[in-house]
Amino acid sequence: MLNYNQALPEKKSFQDLQIEEIKPIMKLIIRGKKREFISAFGKALNILLPTESNTSTQSDKLTALWLSPDEWMLFSNKPIDENTNDYDTEKLLNNKISKINLGAITDVSDQFVMINLKGNKIYELFQTGSPFNFNNFQNKKGAVIQTILAKIGIIVHNQDKNIVNLFVRRSFSQHLFSWMNDAASRL
Amino acid sequence: MTKNLRLKTGKAIDETYRISFKFNGSTYYGFKGDTLASALLANDIHLIGRSFKYHRPRGIMTAGSEEPNAIVQLHNDSSRTEPNVRATEIEIYEGLEASSQNCWPSVNFDIGGINNLLSPLLPAGFYYKTFMWPASFWEKYEYFIRRSAGLGKSPTKPDPDIYEHKYIHCDVLIIGAGISGIMAAKIAAKNGLKTLLVEEKPNLGGSTIYQNSDHFKINNQNSGSWLEKEINEIKKLKNLEIKTRTSVAAFHGYNFLLARENLTDHLPMNQRNDKTRHKLLKIRAKKVITATGSIERPMIFDNNDRPGILLSSAIKKFADYFGVACGEKNILFTNNDSAYETAISLIQKGINIEAIIDNREEVNSKLIYEVEKNNIKIFKGYTVANTFGYKRINKISIMQLSKDGQKVVGPKIILSCDCLGVSGGWTPAVHLFTQSGGKLKFREDDQVFLPNIYPSDQLSIGACNGDFTLDEILRNTPKSLIKYLKIKNTDYDNLEVSSSTNKSKRNIWLLPSDKILGKTKSFVDYQNDATAKDIKLALREGFRSIEHVKRYTTTGMGTDQGKLGNMHALGIVSETAGAKMGELGTTTFRPPYTPLTFGTIVGRNVGEYFDIFRKTPIHDWHIDHKAEFENVGQWKRAWYYPKENENMHDAVQRESKAAREGAGILDASTLGKIDIQGTDASEFLNRIYTNAWSKLAVGKCRYGLMLNEDGMVYDDGVTTRLDENHYIMTTTTGGAANVMGKLEDYLQTEWPELDVYLTSVTDHFATVSVCGPNSKKIVSQVIPDLDLSDENFPHMSFKNAKIGNINCRVMRISFTGEHSYEINIQANYGKSVWEKCMEAGKDYNITPYGTETMHLLRAEKGFIIVGQDTDATMTPIDLQMDWIVSKKKYDFIGKRSLYRSDTIKENRKQLVGLLTDDPNEVLEEGAQIVADINKSPIEMLGHVTSSYYSPNLKKSIALGVVRGGKNMMGQKLIIPMEKKNINVIVADPVFLDKENKRLNA
Repeated sequence: MLNYNQALPEKKSFQDLQIEEIKPIMKLIIRGKKREFISAFGKALNILLPTESNTSTQSDKLTALWLSPDEWMLFSNKPIDENTNDYDTEKLLNNKISKINLGAITDVSDQFVMINLKGNKIYELFQTGSPFNFNNFQNKKGAVIQTILAKIGIIVHNQDKNIVNLFVRRSFSQHLFSWMNDAASRL
Repeated sequence: MTKNLRLKTGKAIDETYRISFKFNGSTYYGFKGDTLASALLANDIHLIGRSFKYHRPRGIMTAGSEEPNAIVQLHNDSSRTEPNVRATEIEIYEGLEASSQNCWPSVNFDIGGINNLLSPLLPAGFYYKTFMWPASFWEKYEYFIRRSAGLGKSPTKPDPDIYEHKYIHCDVLIIGAGISGIMAAKIAAKNGLKTLLVEEKPNLGGSTIYQNSDHFKINNQNSGSWLEKEINEIKKLKNLEIKTRTSVAAFHGYNFLLARENLTDHLPMNQRNDKTRHKLLKIRAKKVITATGSIERPMIFDNNDRPGILLSSAIKKFADYFGVACGEKNILFTNNDSAYETAISLIQKGINIEAIIDNREEVNSKLIYEVEKNNIKIFKGYTVANTFGYKRINKISIMQLSKDGQKVVGPKIILSCDCLGVSGGWTPAVHLFTQSGGKLKFREDDQVFLPNIYPSDQLSIGACNGDFTLDEILRNTPKSLIKYLKIKNTDYDNLEVSSSTNKSKRNIWLLPSDKILGKTKSFVDYQNDATAKDIKLALREGFRSIEHVKRYTTTGMGTDQGKLGNMHALGIVSETAGAKMGELGTTTFRPPYTPLTFGTIVGRNVGEYFDIFRKTPIHDWHIDHKAEFENVGQWKRAWYYPKENENMHDAVQRESKAAREGAGILDASTLGKIDIQGTDASEFLNRIYTNAWSKLAVGKCRYGLMLNEDGMVYDDGVTTRLDENHYIMTTTTGGAANVMGKLEDYLQTEWPELDVYLTSVTDHFATVSVCGPNSKKIVSQVIPDLDLSDENFPHMSFKNAKIGNINCRVMRISFTGEHSYEINIQANYGKSVWEKCMEAGKDYNITPYGTETMHLLRAEKGFIIVGQDTDATMTPIDLQMDWIVSKKKYDFIGKRSLYRSDTIKENRKQLVGLLTDDPNEVLEEGAQIVADINKSPIEMLGHVTSSYYSPNLKKSIALGVVRGGKNMMGQKLIIPMEKKNINVIVADPVFLDKENKRLNA
C-alpha cells in the first residue's frame, strides 16, 4: 500500500477566517466543443456543464466550473477514498466522451490542491494579493474566476456566502498557503 | 530657555495629551495632534536644517506635503532611520527622535556653511563646468562628489517593519477631503456609487475646517462649522469608505492609481508591534474626482529663504489648526487677499502683526478693511527688497515698486520682525492630473495652469480646478458633479454663501531689489538652492526648453519636486525669453507626488515571499536527507546530496559512479507534462516536432525537438503514445509553461481545425526515475506485477501499472544513458513510491542523485540540455542532430527557416565534444575557444557549454559550440584562460556507450 501525502496537512484558523485543504477531491478537466459533447456529458452525469462564462453548476455529487469556452473543471463535492485512484466518474466519461472522440477527459486530482476558505474575511485576504475585482463576484453564488493571488495562478469558486474553494497547482500550494497565512494574520 | 508660543486653542490639538519628543538630542513637548513642525514652532524653533548646496540655515516654510526645507532624519537606529521626512507631515508620538540633515557638526554650526560664502564661485552647472579637466581626474573628483551628494542617511540594516499591498476597485475615487472633496463624496455615495475618499492628512476638511471668520459663511453658518456637520454626515454613509493619512502617489492611465496608506507612523513605537506600517493601495476606479486643492506660492525676492519666512497660509494653519504662533513680531507680504485672511486669524488670536506689505497699489476688500480697522499698517505698492538674520529672520527692508513692477524706487524702510508670511497667490495642484496624461491650459488672469483635456474618466473640482473662492467652489462643484455623474440634483444646489470675492492680484515672478541680480540670492528652488540668477544664467548659456533649464539648474529636482517654486521658474524663463507661459508648458510631474518608502513599493515581496518557489511532492524527503537545492525556473530541485563533509564535487562523483555501477534515483517531477488528446493529436505532433509521429505505435515513446519559427531549438522532451488518440508530452522544467502557451496558441489561432485538446498535468504526476544496471531489479520489487522483460518492455516504451491499488504509468526511457525507468504516479503518492524504491534498492546501493549528477551523466552520453548547450541560435543541424529532422514531412514549425542561406551555412557554430590534453583539467563553462592564440585580434570560434570531470570515464569531458566544428574532428584548439592556455581536441559529443549497450542492457 502506498501512503497518501496531502500537500497542506495544516488547518489554519484566524479571526473570521479558516483555511484548509480538502482532500482527496476528484478533479477532472473536461474539454470539448462539439454540440453532442455537451448533451452526452449531461446525460452521463445528470449535470449540465455551465455555458455562461465564469459560472458553475452543481449536482449532489459533482460541481462543474467554467474555465473557457471549451474547458471545464469537474470536481467531487465530497472527499473520496484515498486508497484508490480509480474513479467511476472518470471511467464513465471516458466511455461516453473520450472513447467516441467527443472531447477529452483528463484526471487532474493531484494537479490542483483545493483550499477551502470560510469566514467573512475571505475577500479582504484576496484583496491583499489579487488584482481581480471581487466586488460583484462575492455576491454571486457559484461564480468562478481564474486569476492570480500573490503572483500565483488560482481558480476561485464562490461556493456560498463566506465559503470559497480555491484551486492552486500543487507545486505552488505550500508557498501560497504560507503567504495566505502571513497575510491573514494581519487582517 | 525656549519660548512657548502655544495659543489657547487649536482645532487639531488635544491639550490634555502631552507628548515628549527629541529634536537634535534635546527633549521638547507637544500635544497629540501636533506635527513635528507645529510642535517645534510652539517651542520657538524655526531652524530645522541646512540647504543642499550652500548649507544655508533653513526653517519651516509650509504646513503641508509641499515642504521643501523642513526635512529631517527620523530615528537613530540603523534599521529604522529614515531621511527626508517632512516635519510638516510627521505627527509627533511619544519617543519620536528627529535630527537635522545636511549639517556637520550641528545645525547651528555647520562647516559646510562655507559654501554660502563661496556661492559666487558655485553657479548653476558648476559641476559640469569644473570637473571636466583633466579627464583622468574624474575618479578622484567622483569620490568627493559622491560623499557630498544626497540628503540624510540611509538605513544600513534590514527594515524591520511590515509593508503590504492592497487592491481596491471602486466606482468613484475622490482624492482630497477638503470642502470640494467632502461635497463630492457625499454626492457620489448618496447616488449609490461605491466611493473611496482619500486624504493625505490625519483629518478631513482641508483648510475650510479651521476657517473661523465671519467673512466666510454657508447657510448662515461659519464655513468651518458647516463643513464639520457635513463630515459627520458622510461618515455614516454606507457606500463611502474614507481613508486618511493616505497620499495618492501616482495617477496612471485608465484610472489606475497608487496610494500610500500610512498606518502606524503616528503611533508610539510600543504600539506598532507586528502592525503593517504602510500599505500601497493599488486602486482601479471607474471615475476619479481630483480635489487636491492648491498650494500657496511664495514670492521670489532677495534672501527669501531664511528661517522664519513661511507661507502666509501656513502661519494661519499653525495658528488656527495647531494653536501655535509662528512669531511674536509678524509681517505679512502679499500680492493678493489671502494674507489678509491670515491677518484676521492672527488678530482674532491676539498675535501681533507689525505690518502688511502688499505689492498692489490700490486695493479694496472687506478683508483689508477689517485689517485696517485693527490699526495694522499696510504698505501698499511696496515689495520686500531684502531680509536679514542668519539663522532666523530679524528684519526686512522694503521699498516701493515702480509702476511696471520691474524696479524699486524711493527710500528703503527697515522693519524688524521674527516671522515673515508670504503669499504669492495660489497654484492649483494639478500634479496628479498631468501624471494621468491630462493636458493643461493657462489662465492669464491669475497666471495658473488648469486642467483642460481629460485623458480618462475623471474630473477636477475645487481649487485644483482654479476655483479659489468659497462661493466659486460651492457654486461650481455641485454643477460639475451633476454633469459628470449624470444626476439630477444634489444636496448643495441651493446653498447660501457669503465670502470675500476680491480676486485681484499683482503677479511679479521675480521681485526687483536695489541690488543687481548677480548680487542677490532669490531662491526659486529652496531644497536644491537654485536661484533666479541661476535660471537666467541657464538662459544666457543657451538653454531654452524648460526641461533643459530644469536639469541644468536642478530646479524642481529635489524631494519636493519644486511644488513651491516651479511656477516661478517658468515665469522667469517666460519673461526672460519673451515666451508666453501657456506656450512654454510645464515640466513633467512624475510619480510619486510625495516620496514613498521602498518598503511601501516592495510590500510583502521580501524574504521568503520575494519570489515564488515550487516544490515537488518528494521535496520533504530531499530536505530530510540533507539535499542542497538549486533553482530551476521557479522550482526548488535537489542539486546533490552531500554526505558528511562532502563538497559538491565529491558528492557528484559518488552519485554518478553509483548511478552507473549500482542504481541511481532522481526526482524528475519538475519536467513539464502535457496531456494531448483528440483525433488529430498525431498530426498536431507532426507539426510541432521536427520528426514524424504518425507511425509511433501505441505504448511507445519518442524523443522530439521543438523549434521556433526561426528554426532554432526551443524545447525538447519525450512524448509517449498512451492510446490511439492520446499522448503525454514532456517538456523541459523551465520551458513547461511557455511550451503549453505556445501549443495552445497554435491550436487556437493557426490550426483551429485540428481536433486536439491540451491539459497541463505537470503537477498531477510525481516522477521517480530509477536508473543503473540494477534498476530493473528494483522496479520489479516495487511493481511485482509488471513484466519488465526486454521483449515485453523494451527501451522507449510505456506500460500502465498498479502499485497496490494505485494506477501509475511506467516509461522505460533514459536521460543518463543507463537502463532506466520513470514511474509517473499521482503526486500525493509520489513520496511513498520514492521511499519504496529506496527500500527496494537498499541492497543495490541505490543512490539518490540531484540535478548536477544528472547533468554529468547526460553529458557523458552527449545528450543536450536545451538552454545550456543551446541558446536560441542553434538549429538541430548545428547540434549534429540531423537525424531528428524529417525530410519527408510536409511541414513543421521552423522547417522553412532551416533552409535559409544562413542556417545552411557550413561554418555555423556547431556542437562538438571537447577533450583536454590533461585528463584532469576541467574546463570552465562559458570559456572561449580559439584556434590561433597569436592572431590579432584574436578570433573566437565558440565557447564551452557543459564541462565535468567524469568518474566513469576517468577524465574530463566537455561540450562546446565551435564555428565549423562538425568538420574539425580531432583538431587541436585552445581555451585561453586568465593564467594559462588549455589545449583541447575536438571529439565526438557522445563520450560513453555510443552503441547504446547500457540502455538496452
